Amino acid sequence: MIAVARTALRLALRDLRGGLRGLRVFVLSLCLGVAAIAAVGTVRGAIADALVEQGAVLLGGDAEVSYTYRFATGEERAFLQAQAARLSETVEFRSMAVTPDQTQRALTQVRAVDGAYPLVGALRLDPPMPVQQALSGRGAVMDRLLAEQLGLSPGDGFDLGGARFTLSARILREPDGAASGMSFAPRTIVALDDARSANLLVPGSLFDSSYRLLLTPGTDLSALRQKVETAFPDSGLRWQDRRKAAPGTEMFLDRMAEFLVLVGLAALAVGGIGIAAAVQDWLAQRRESIATLKALGAESRLIHAIYGLQIGLVTLAGIGLGLALGTLGPMLAAPLIQASLPLPVAIRPSLPGLAMAAVYGGLAAAIFTLWPLARLDQVRPAALFRDLGEGAKRRPGWRMMAATGLVLAVLVGVATATSGNPELVLGALGGVAAALAVLALAAAGLRQGARRIAPRLRGRPGLRLALAAIGSPGGGTVPVVLALGLGLSVLAALGQVDANFRAAIAADLPRRAPSYFFIDIQPDQIAPFLARADETPGVTRTESAPMLRGIITRINGADARRVAGDHWVLRGDRGITYAATPPPNTTITEGAWWPAKEAGPPQISFSAKEGAELGLKLGDRLTVNILGRDIEARITSFRRVDFSTAGIGFVMTMNPAALAGAPHSHIATVYTDGSFDHSAFLRQVGATWPNITAIRISDVIARVTEALTAISRGVALAAGVTLVSGAVVLIGTAAAGDADRRREAAVLRSLGASRGQIRASFALRSALTGAAAGGIASAFGALAGWAVMRFVMEAPYRFEPVSALALVAGGMLAVLAAGLAFAEPALGARPAQVLRARD
Amino acid sequence: MTDRILALSGVRLTLAGNAGPVEVLRGIDLSVMRGESMGLIGPSGSGKSSLLMLMGGLERATAGQVLALGQDLGAMSEDALARFRRANMGIVFQSFHLIPTLTALENVALPLELAGAPDAMARAAQELDAMGLGARGGHYPSQLSGGEQQRVALARAFVARPAILLADEPTGNLDGATGAAIMDQLFALRDRHGATLVLVTHAPELAARCDRVVRLADGLIAS
Repeated sequence: MIAVARTALRLALRDLRGGLRGLRVFVLSLCLGVAAIAAVGTVRGAIADALVEQGAVLLGGDAEVSYTYRFATGEERAFLQAQAARLSETVEFRSMAVTPDQTQRALTQVRAVDGAYPLVGALRLDPPMPVQQALSGRGAVMDRLLAEQLGLSPGDGFDLGGARFTLSARILREPDGAASGMSFAPRTIVALDDARSANLLVPGSLFDSSYRLLLTPGTDLSALRQKVETAFPDSGLRWQDRRKAAPGTEMFLDRMAEFLVLVGLAALAVGGIGIAAAVQDWLAQRRESIATLKALGAESRLIHAIYGLQIGLVTLAGIGLGLALGTLGPMLAAPLIQASLPLPVAIRPSLPGLAMAAVYGGLAAAIFTLWPLARLDQVRPAALFRDLGEGAKRRPGWRMMAATGLVLAVLVGVATATSGNPELVLGALGGVAAALAVLALAAAGLRQGARRIAPRLRGRPGLRLALAAIGSPGGGTVPVVLALGLGLSVLAALGQVDANFRAAIAADLPRRAPSYFFIDIQPDQIAPFLARADETPGVTRTESAPMLRGIITRINGADARRVAGDHWVLRGDRGITYAATPPPNTTITEGAWWPAKEAGPPQISFSAKEGAELGLKLGDRLTVNILGRDIEARITSFRRVDFSTAGIGFVMTMNPAALAGAPHSHIATVYTDGSFDHSAFLRQVGATWPNITAIRISDVIARVTEALTAISRGVALAAGVTLVSGAVVLIGTAAAGDADRRREAAVLRSLGASRGQIRASFALRSALTGAAAGGIASAFGALAGWAVMRFVMEAPYRFEPVSALALVAGGMLAVLAAGLAFAEPALGARPAQVLRARD
Repeated sequence: MTDRILALSGVRLTLAGNAGPVEVLRGIDLSVMRGESMGLIGPSGSGKSSLLMLMGGLERATAGQVLALGQDLGAMSEDALARFRRANMGIVFQSFHLIPTLTALENVALPLELAGAPDAMARAAQELDAMGLGARGGHYPSQLSGGEQQRVALARAFVARPAILLADEPTGNLDGATGAAIMDQLFALRDRHGATLVLVTHAPELAARCDRVVRLADGLIAS
């Protein structure tokens, strides 16, 4: 066994002296896919490290306890104070920042802080000054872009909820900004005492209070969490600590990284086609050597060992190059990456990320090389005596097929096990497999069709030759259609989803959505506010509802998350309203609405879809913590709620008696037409009710679109790798066919064909193959786009023809360019030389 | 010269062709004695090379039996055949079939290395020396002339001292003078090592140098 291995290694190394000619596509394809995954792993690792290292800075303390719509009680505060070396109290809410002349106004996310802020890290201000100095005397600091938007400079005054503040400095970097996750408004920071004295935090206002704890070193965070949660079990508190300081950011980045790894795997699949084709060609070149070895007495296992070792060594080279590229790339692009991330990160090699990329690379190489390697057994020594040709390609033995299946299963298993979203992984890998199957069928169909049509084209030799070449077994049609088609399919699917998503958000939503959300409307303000809105020209409709927020803590007395899992409804607090009668257009799907004047026990009407997802049924008891008070209510009806219009929609509506006496505010939506004077209305509202905050939906859409653009840019970049992989395969295939092309050109020229005729024939076959790949990719992209919109986004799908046509044209041009580039040397060669060499 | 080293009885070979099956050999009965040299001649397509392939176990008979050294080649697996060839046969091809990525020395050493011989390189070097190619051991096939390539192939065929030597038109791709020199070397080697030789050739004068000449025509032994 060892002797065989030694002989195999010696012969393998000798054979490799011939260079990697023919395996360059292999190395490059593998390298690209591995590099894409390694780059994602490097950036992901850097972010993960940063989140761990800067956990306390991001959170603003070692731990944080927060409440919705209320401050901690004296008892809670004293308890927290006793646990911490230092405690800091901050409050977050949204408000309108308005210039003194009332001409400029903008929504802002206000953070009101006490004297201990920030417990950890430093707020970078322009001009530089200590934060407490900046906030003293009703001072405020503001996001740089917000200050620019309002035209404010340090020293200028502005109003916040009707109270005058002075801008002391602009915020350059907020250490704990990322922990808040995505916010729809830029930051303003004021002193907590000023917010209180300015009546910005009256009962019923929508605010969150947070208590940050700086702990003595060595404090056991898990034990402390348990202690706090046990001490105040039903207080509605939310715990966070430095171990997971920015869960929203972390989850978003994790999801994004997972998605990009999937795109990397797609690139590996595209490259895999090239790998398989390259190995097949490479082994075909060695057919004579293999037959000679067999004739000289080499056994199958030695032959397998020799060529398996060579493939293994080349695989290692491809993976090594990929890892180097995937590490160095992000390190070189560090300034760009750092600028687009919400927290400072140091880009450095990440061992787990690189290991994952290497594993994926190795598995992909195995999947795509086992099959061609298995064909080694089909090489017969008799080939040395007689030109046996390729012969019919038989399927490899069951052992090799089982081995390929096993490696594939391991790859799917690894991808699924390391992902937080196995459904997405399985869906995406299934999509790639389906795309490959469709493309393989299409390629076979294209070849068959070409073969049938070619003989009928008499008198048109150019077209006939082109179709004959497409239909021939060694014509390179299959790898080109598969690789380029798969690369374009990924791009087409992303293009269709992106276009539909944008259309839904930027075009459809504004037509159906209200123009404004107004929040923090006090109970005594709602009637005059609605009256004012209704009489304003251009307002077509208004809606309003009382609004509270609460967390579902229990379902039928048991921990809610344990009963229903990690559903978004159970994640944090949700809006809750109450109503005596069903709001207009309410559809009750199950149960019955409570009688209008009944003062009975608490009841809930729950959103039908979310209720079904949580496994709720009529009669179930939900415990909802509102303002620190537990309310247990029975579900008496389910109703259909449409969140897609961005109008008022609550998962939970309670009967009025359930929430009687709870301090709350109202929200209102205002729908307008083209004649509505936005600034005049906002000025009026601001002057009359300075505490009311207006959220313009178009601004929100703009921010969502902005975020979407950043995401799609990242995704497009990753998808570009699949396309580059496709191009590598395309060029590799074109290069592999060079000798055949030279021979064909030489024979045709000896028969009297002009160079133009031959060039046209070569161009035609390239264009037809490329158009086929692009066309199939567009169709598959449309199918994938439809599936994502229909089943994931639950939104209507519209075929987006521009990107589809661009893909067909792009695919055609790519293959055409590669075909013509390689046709020129073939046309330039002297026919006699080529033909003599053949003899 | 008393025992039969190769014995073929009722051998038929049918190959799949583009226009349907082709009967290449149509019933061959033939014996080759140990130490004998036999020339196989006949027109193109008469089945000479195919018969040689069957004797070397490189092709399997459609019907009939091929015995080499008393062993039924048709009953052996591909790997068993490979081992059998390694131990007992040397083959020379018309197109040399040297492995292009190996040097001349490495090509010659290959059969010994496959057999696990520890002194493969030294023995290969001796063999090359004996062929007058001692100085060309480090050259690759593409750096050698046709005659030199065929001499390397001869050295490779003889280096393991096989009992049977099968040669398929070894001078077919060479000019007359080079071809004659190669044939001289082939017969000299065969005489020195006492191997049984089966030589396929178009040239009657080359065949005449053998102990016996068998003429094939249309897949049958004509004389």
